[in-house]
Amino acid sequence: MTDPRHIRNFSIIAHIDHGKSTLADRMLQLTHTVQDRDMKEQMLDSMDIERERGITIKAQAVRVLYEADDGVTYQLNLIDTPGHVDFTYEVSRSLQACEGCLLVVDAAQGVEAQTVANALMAMNAHLEIIPLINKIDLPAADPERVRHEIEEVLAVPAEDAVLTSGKTGEGVREALEMIVRKVPAPSGDPDAPLTALIFDSYFDAYRGVVALIRVIDGSIRKGTKIRMMATNTVTEVEEVGVRRPANIPMDELTVGEVGYLITGLKDPALVKVGDTVTLAHHGAEEPLPGYREVKPMVFTGLFPIDGDQYPELRDALDKLTLNDPALIYEPESSHALGFGFRCGFLGLLHMEVIKERLEREFDLDLLATAPSVEYHVYRTNGEVLEIHSPQDMPDAGSIDRVEEPYLRATVLVPPDFVGAVMELSEERRGTFRDMQYLSKTTVEMHYEIPLSELIMDYFDQLKSRTRGYATLDYEVIGFQESDLVKLDVLLAGKPVDALSFIVHKDKAFSRGKILTEKLREIIPRQMFDVPIQAAIGGRILARETVKAKRKDVLAKCYGGDISRKRKLLEKQKKGKKRMKNVGLVEVPQEAFMAILKVDE
Amino acid sequence: MPSHVYLHVPFCRMKCSYCDFYSVTDLASARIEAVITGMEAELTQWSSNGLAGVVETVYFGGGTPTVITGGLVRLVRSALEHFPVRAGAEVTVEANPDSVSVQLIDALAAAGVTRVSVGVQSFNSTELAVLGRVHTVDEAKAACSAVHATGLELSIDLMCGIPGQAAASWVETLEQALRSGADHISVYPLTLEPGTALDVAVSTGLVQEPDPDIAAEQMMIAEEVFAAAGIPRYEIANYARPGHESRHNLAYWTGRPYVGIGPAAHGMLDIETARHTGMVHGPGPNVGRVRYGNPADIDEWLLGRATEIELLTRSEVLREDVMLGLRLVRGVPHGAVVAADLVDVLISLEESGLVERILNSGLPVVEEGVVPSMRWRTTRRGWLLGNEVFERVWTGE
Ligand SMILES: Nc1nc2c(ncn2[C@@H]2O[C@H](COP(=O)(O)OP(=O)(O)OP(=O)(O)O)[C@@H](O)[C@H]2O)c(=O)[nH]1
Ligand code: SF4
Ligand SMILES: [Mg+2]
Repeated sequence: MTDPRHIRNFSIIAHIDHGKSTLADRMLQLTHTVQDRDMKEQMLDSMDIERERGITIKAQAVRVLYEADDGVTYQLNLIDTPGHVDFTYEVSRSLQACEGCLLVVDAAQGVEAQTVANALMAMNAHLEIIPLINKIDLPAADPERVRHEIEEVLAVPAEDAVLTSGKTGEGVREALEMIVRKVPAPSGDPDAPLTALIFDSYFDAYRGVVALIRVIDGSIRKGTKIRMMATNTVTEVEEVGVRRPANIPMDELTVGEVGYLITGLKDPALVKVGDTVTLAHHGAEEPLPGYREVKPMVFTGLFPIDGDQYPELRDALDKLTLNDPALIYEPESSHALGFGFRCGFLGLLHMEVIKERLEREFDLDLLATAPSVEYHVYRTNGEVLEIHSPQDMPDAGSIDRVEEPYLRATVLVPPDFVGAVMELSEERRGTFRDMQYLSKTTVEMHYEIPLSELIMDYFDQLKSRTRGYATLDYEVIGFQESDLVKLDVLLAGKPVDALSFIVHKDKAFSRGKILTEKLREIIPRQMFDVPIQAAIGGRILARETVKAKRKDVLAKCYGGDISRKRKLLEKQKKGKKRMKNVGLVEVPQEAFMAILKVDE
Repeated sequence: MPSHVYLHVPFCRMKCSYCDFYSVTDLASARIEAVITGMEAELTQWSSNGLAGVVETVYFGGGTPTVITGGLVRLVRSALEHFPVRAGAEVTVEANPDSVSVQLIDALAAAGVTRVSVGVQSFNSTELAVLGRVHTVDEAKAACSAVHATGLELSIDLMCGIPGQAAASWVETLEQALRSGADHISVYPLTLEPGTALDVAVSTGLVQEPDPDIAAEQMMIAEEVFAAAGIPRYEIANYARPGHESRHNLAYWTGRPYVGIGPAAHGMLDIETARHTGMVHGPGPNVGRVRYGNPADIDEWLLGRATEIELLTRSEVLREDVMLGLRLVRGVPHGAVVAADLVDVLISLEESGLVERILNSGLPVVEEGVVPSMRWRTTRRGWLLGNEVFERVWTGE
């Protein structure tokens, strides 16, 4: 067993893209955990989607052995975390398994919104925070300014912040030295009954649920009879080991160590992230403080383009939820789109990622409807409904009031753009709360804003109106009453349920108008006129028409054209197959997302 | 053995803004010589394979065949040596007004050419400029007169849907066309081909996007004006005084085999001929037709690089025949539709108003039932929405 004094557990946290995963690469190399020839960029981003998009989605724990300047070989358990706001919960879980963290700040970008959010989380978890200014090789790097920002904005002492470049490897050894010196060793009791925190898990088709654990007290080894405290499930340890980054079985995991645990349990519901593992007999009495359950905030309908793929979609969702407890789904049916599922996600990126994985890993062709949020509908008869889809909104007459989720949004922006942020936030029903100068170059602004407005391209607009400078973080603060109405869209005179959306009364007219205009652009001309109407109840607010096409013919067709034009026809036919037939109208998939693109 | 031959002359003086045909503007004489020699070698190849018999039509297209002047005359002679024509055959040369002279027309006529198709496009100089054509309106008129004067058959090409083309200008172009002495006129709506200069100009906002509705309107006006002048439409884009339809082009639309010679030329062969050429080796019993395309690159073609080959199954052949046949105003016989298993498809197209059943008399069918002489053809709406028809016929769905 490793002497706990020689163990250091830390997370790498930062705003998105500040270079966490690249730093982790250098650490894997410097400690010879991965041979140079096996090294690839952002090694720990192992999912295809992570690699393609160049972002981390899932936190990754890995053990490295580091021979420090004091001659001792330390066991370092590092966790690389995602920076995107949708995956904040991954950060908060990771922090609970650690005594310290590396707070990475890009030397050119400086402190941004998730830097602040993640630093606050680390403070609340009472972790030792080691500031690190990264990408110092960039021509635009300004470590002195950033050092100031860290001190002023975060109140984290930064006089000896480590300067690093994940690109060149400069400073990485110093960072590890700093960790060895500053991060406290784990302080558990080796002789107390086992308690271990499950901070992550994934599903392996052969091994069942693999839990990632941090041993707080005691130890765990093959054959140990254990109990999951929250689910009160007793089982036996099949294997424990560490990730380097592949799973390496070990005899035991002892106090302070991080590793994986396989029990043979196949049901992810029994191995809950946040639960405490203890001994089956004479175990701990009190579980460790767990996690708040993550709740999906954004809901969308996913429908197979080919209705026959419905059972495959259900199986695929079943499988994905094994590895992603933040994903939920329930059957949904639509007149326009047939049978599908209403799925809940943490945010738009999470939604995109899941849709892409479903299509890619399970070979499905899916249509997604515009995202919506959860509404609480109080009916006049006293009934309260939680609805996730505009379709489920009852008749206006039977509604007493409707509440929608509100966020506290934090925007960090240079002073020049304060006006632009105010303008945008007010357009989106935001209520200004306060603002303060964090430094000469950074203003922090707080808004209360409905989540439904935020998911309508607020972020894109924020970026474009501040020339990319503003960064955004948010958290849900609860439900508040709003004057909301359901807006229906009619194509060729028939309401298309999948196009309905819920909107604030004051915005209904303008959104309806923009949406019908957008749809007119998106829906291709057909053999007949297609009127597009936006309506509330029976009242038409806006109307556009896609005029019938008059000419669609390959007029030139001689010897050399025949094969080529036949191929064109085949392609056109395929294109039509990817569209959804709503009544007689062929509707392209983007139409169902059009409402998100209403830059007013 | 094929009765139709197409020869592709891949040279142009300048590239027109909308054009995506294969042609080069390098008119160096060595280059031209190499191509002519290569085409002669290809002709010889057909003869020595014993596949060059007497044919009914020969077509020299491009590109602009007339830019190589003397070379073209020589090519016509060689072609007609290898593929002799019977009396009354149709031998067409495509020409552009900038490279037509009375002498050249005379020489071509002497070599055996019977018909000249002049790329006029428009009788309005602003429109010619948008199209990037190198000739003037006067040159176009002169070219037509030269052909007419020699007594050759004259065909002209026109374009509608040109950005900025006013209704009055279109009518003017139509009337000029009628005055030119042409017995055959083609009318094409301008299409934006990806990557062409015009496409770039439109996407950067320099030129307005062609409006398909205006083009549709203009196509209908053309049909009326020409019909009134005794030149009815016989195909989607083609009009002829009765008896002057292009026999070569009719061969394309009626599934007749043809030989393609020259860079980027295409051919279609029955399966026996294709096997003789060595293009295919014992294809499965299901193959009914072979289409091939020579490389669209002079050097690759000169090197004898492989041609592109497409094998069509017997049922694809039947569907292709119906699809191409429906381009013609006279349509296709009911028997062909039955053979291609397309009756249901055509009935549903009939319901959408795109095709109709007619008797040979030209009257719509009044009663249900299969009449031996019954035919299917597109309606006026189906004419301009042909892709809806062709797509369903070709895919059989
Ligand atoms: N010039 C330079 N570029 C760097 C450095 N570190 C990372 N990058 C680049 O910055 C981008 C983001 O790097 P990542 O390591 O993926 O950042 P991350 O913080 O893990 O990003 P998320 O996990 O998505 O939050 C990549 O294009 C890296 O190549 C550095 O030290 N110098
Ligand atoms: S003359 Fe004909 S082939 Fe030559 S560039 Fe113009 S359109 Fe194309
Ligand atoms: Mg990362």
